[in-house]
Amino acid sequence: MNWFTLSMPPKDISTNGHLIDGLWNYTTALCIFYFVLVCIGLFGFSFLYSRKRNKTPYYTYGNKKQHIIATAVVGAAVFLTIDLNITRFASNDLLNTFWKYPDPKTEKVLRVEVLAQQWMWSFRYAGEDGIFATDDDVVTNNDLRVPVGTKVLFHLTSKDVIHSFFVPSVRMKVDTIPGRVTRIWWDANIPGTYDIACAEMCGNPHYLMKAQLTVYTEENFQKWMKTSQLMAKNTNDPENKNLAWGWKWEI
Amino acid sequence: MSGGYNEIHPEPTTFWSKYIISFDHKVIAKQFLWYGIFFLGLGGLMALLIRWTLAYPGVPVPVIGSILFPNSAGVVPPDTYAMLFTMHGTIMIFYAITPILIGAFGNYCIPLMIGARDMAFPMLNMLSFWFAFLSGAVLLASFGLPLGAAAGGWTSYPTLSTLVGQPGLGQTLWSLAIFLFGVSSTMGAVNYVTTVITLRAPGMGYFDMPLTIWGLWLTAILNAIFVPVLCAGVILLMLDRVFGTTFFLAGASATSGSGDPVLFQHVFWIFGHPEVYILILPAWGIVSDLLSFFSRKPAFGAKATALSMTAVTILSTLVYGHHMFTTQMSPLLTQSFMTLTMTISIPSAIFFANWLGTIWKGSIRFDSPMLFSLGVVFVFGLGGLTGLHLGTVTTDLYLHDTYFVVGHFHYTMAASVLLGGFAGIYFWFPKMFGRMMNELMAKIHFWGTMIGLNGVFFGMLMVGYGGMHRRIYNPFIYESLQRLIPINTFITTSAIVMGAFQIIFVINFLYSLKKGPKAPNNPWDVGTLEWTIPSPPVHHNYDVIPVVKCGPHEFGNPNLTTGRDFQYQTEDLVKA
Amino acid sequence: MVLISGTMLFATLLMGYAVYRTSAPTWPPAGTLPVKLVFPLLSTVSILLSSFFMHKVRTEFEDLKKAKLNLDTTLVLGFLFMGLQTLFWSELRNSGLLVGSGIFSSILYGFTWIHAAHVVMGLLSLLWLRFVLKVETRNLDVKVLNVEKFWHFLGIIWSIMFLTLFIL
Repeated sequence: MNWFTLSMPPKDISTNGHLIDGLWNYTTALCIFYFVLVCIGLFGFSFLYSRKRNKTPYYTYGNKKQHIIATAVVGAAVFLTIDLNITRFASNDLLNTFWKYPDPKTEKVLRVEVLAQQWMWSFRYAGEDGIFATDDDVVTNNDLRVPVGTKVLFHLTSKDVIHSFFVPSVRMKVDTIPGRVTRIWWDANIPGTYDIACAEMCGNPHYLMKAQLTVYTEENFQKWMKTSQLMAKNTNDPENKNLAWGWKWEI
Repeated sequence: MSGGYNEIHPEPTTFWSKYIISFDHKVIAKQFLWYGIFFLGLGGLMALLIRWTLAYPGVPVPVIGSILFPNSAGVVPPDTYAMLFTMHGTIMIFYAITPILIGAFGNYCIPLMIGARDMAFPMLNMLSFWFAFLSGAVLLASFGLPLGAAAGGWTSYPTLSTLVGQPGLGQTLWSLAIFLFGVSSTMGAVNYVTTVITLRAPGMGYFDMPLTIWGLWLTAILNAIFVPVLCAGVILLMLDRVFGTTFFLAGASATSGSGDPVLFQHVFWIFGHPEVYILILPAWGIVSDLLSFFSRKPAFGAKATALSMTAVTILSTLVYGHHMFTTQMSPLLTQSFMTLTMTISIPSAIFFANWLGTIWKGSIRFDSPMLFSLGVVFVFGLGGLTGLHLGTVTTDLYLHDTYFVVGHFHYTMAASVLLGGFAGIYFWFPKMFGRMMNELMAKIHFWGTMIGLNGVFFGMLMVGYGGMHRRIYNPFIYESLQRLIPINTFITTSAIVMGAFQIIFVINFLYSLKKGPKAPNNPWDVGTLEWTIPSPPVHHNYDVIPVVKCGPHEFGNPNLTTGRDFQYQTEDLVKA
Repeated sequence: MVLISGTMLFATLLMGYAVYRTSAPTWPPAGTLPVKLVFPLLSTVSILLSSFFMHKVRTEFEDLKKAKLNLDTTLVLGFLFMGLQTLFWSELRNSGLLVGSGIFSSILYGFTWIHAAHVVMGLLSLLWLRFVLKVETRNLDVKVLNVEKFWHFLGIIWSIMFLTLFIL
């Protein structure tokens, strides 16, 4: 494998990740275009107008009409291609997709509460009763399991310092901040196991704060959920402080 | 106001008043230069240790490993690693780049290039250096603490930087050092602003100032306004740490009442984004001048360049929020910050147009300062353009806090500023020390640095896009990142190569200082004011305050009859 | 020259503090707590009065004796302000509002501390001016003007703090 393929991001498993990849490609294409222009100018002029080749310089302040127009055209081109387009794309994607949170009342959504702490991720699913912060919640550590093709809505907070919930395979991350609840949603379309990382420096073992995302088929997920719910009902200890971090989720 | 202050001071006679607490801007500039180069070396060494760890996790560092880390058999331990990258960032930004670009060149060039005998407030200038010195001493002292120096990243986000995450005294000393540094910077900045406004030589309008002065002046304005914000931030952080206030504590760690950790990010980045431009503006100014000087033709659209710099200065104060997209500010705020950020691309595009316009149809002399300036155009092109990916909210959701960010800001802040700084050193060395530097060594140094740094920073962009996030001790515990091992090894090799070529610079610098050929008054055939006086200048710079009659970039005028291809700023402009 | 550059230091602080104040409104609204207003009110009166006398120092600058008297009054009022601040803190502590008990007390203590540190510096510069009045005449007007500005600035900041922290 050459380095170009090596440095490609992990395979996109979500429905909307391609929006980010697409914009990335567009921006990169523009960057390459402008950078090539700069390089042509830089190396071309350096070659053409070296002291050996060009004894007498052209005496100008660059304030002639055509010079000003040329500069203005560059500015306008950048404004049109970069500012208008990228900003528009990004705003649209952001408002219509990434920050348009699915509504559990009208859609099928899996809700998960996430607690980050030094140096562990904890995930909480509402148990059989569908209500958070009750004794039958399913709580896992460093182990997130979601069904394929279902929107997952996360509410996240942190216990101690700022962490950042980063799932490279869906191209999304969000900070978890003590004292606040942040939100993120995505869906995963390809079963398998993927990495979840903490992307915000959170102490010396920051690099060990890693969790696993398992994307199940619908069937397998239900099976796992059933077992876990049963287990939670039987073994969850109300006195156990480590399990008591959940909060009510108002729909 | 200028007349009264622009007097000739008697020359100091004792060693103490001449070299240590000197009020002379030239001596202070040299003090800052040595200070900056020392910290640059230190920070660079740290960078190499960091790179070594990333490429060969768990492998002992060769040669110096066993001395530095005896407890872990020469391997960099995780806590030291966190300390290293924190201190690398802090040292490079506050203690290496700022002293060299702003402290050294600011102090040296401003009075000389505007035809003044000294700064407006020489004592403030002296205090500024010694505050910086004190600050550096405090920072270095924190390495000797039992729990080590600060290790919360150079951004020191709470709550990690409060007692919750950093129980040691290191972070407190870090805050103190940054506060002292802020005091020093603000003093310097106020001084620069006042000097430029009041002490310009008669006849010198703002657009007759060299672009270097424009850059330094705008930098000083930004410094004077925004460094105090940082000071306020670190004072509050110190209060949190030492007196138990709860400005930034929240959640379970805030046992009584709660503040807001995001507040610090706001305060920090209100300062932090202008800081980026504080660092880059002097480099832009130097490059804009040098390109014209060595192309032997007037700077293309000099006025537009100066105004674009001003535009960037103003814009830079309005865009800080793009560092915080992942903290989920309101969508309206997010969109506004993104749009404003993108707007910066317009003045930047005008820079590039003007830079290329300057060398277009020139008669280019490829001396080492010119090579470094052309290098800046190249690396800043890459650095600036990759900023687009990060200023865009959606791509930033993926790229935020990955190595892509690291690569981007190293291209803009480290590579561009470093090359700009080297260009400046090679250019003004003859004036500063009265001797020429070795040109061949300078050129070797340029090519080595250029190849090395592109290897390092482009590699960082690549691994960042590959999904490797920042500040991790061992990326390869993630299976999906193991494929990036060869690129990381390549980055480290490039970094070592780049580091090795800096030795040539140090040798050249020290050798030329003692043994270099004597410099003539005007080795580069340049017309700005500092080249009209002897190298090195006498204590009071100008026997007679010069009168300025034309702009700084008068080259290649076909009607010149003096036998030179340039005009001094003190000469009447020959009609073309 | 030494002294002139010294005054610039205060201009720097002035600017810093101004920016600090503008960044301050980003604070989350503090919880309401009944704080006794006696001492802050007295502090306000004393610092404003001192500002008034400081102003007189400059306007009646020609008469050195009067200037000295006015400066002395300013100084006394300044020290009175510090004394009242200390009383205020001890009262707060006695009423159980400690530094670490929440964001409101953090702001209360933090801001008043920072302000007090500036007042100490202001007092030092006043003392310095008092000393200078005796011995030096060169550039005296500039020095008086700068110290005066700084002292007014402290008064203004305190008034703003008094309004935002205690009244609103």
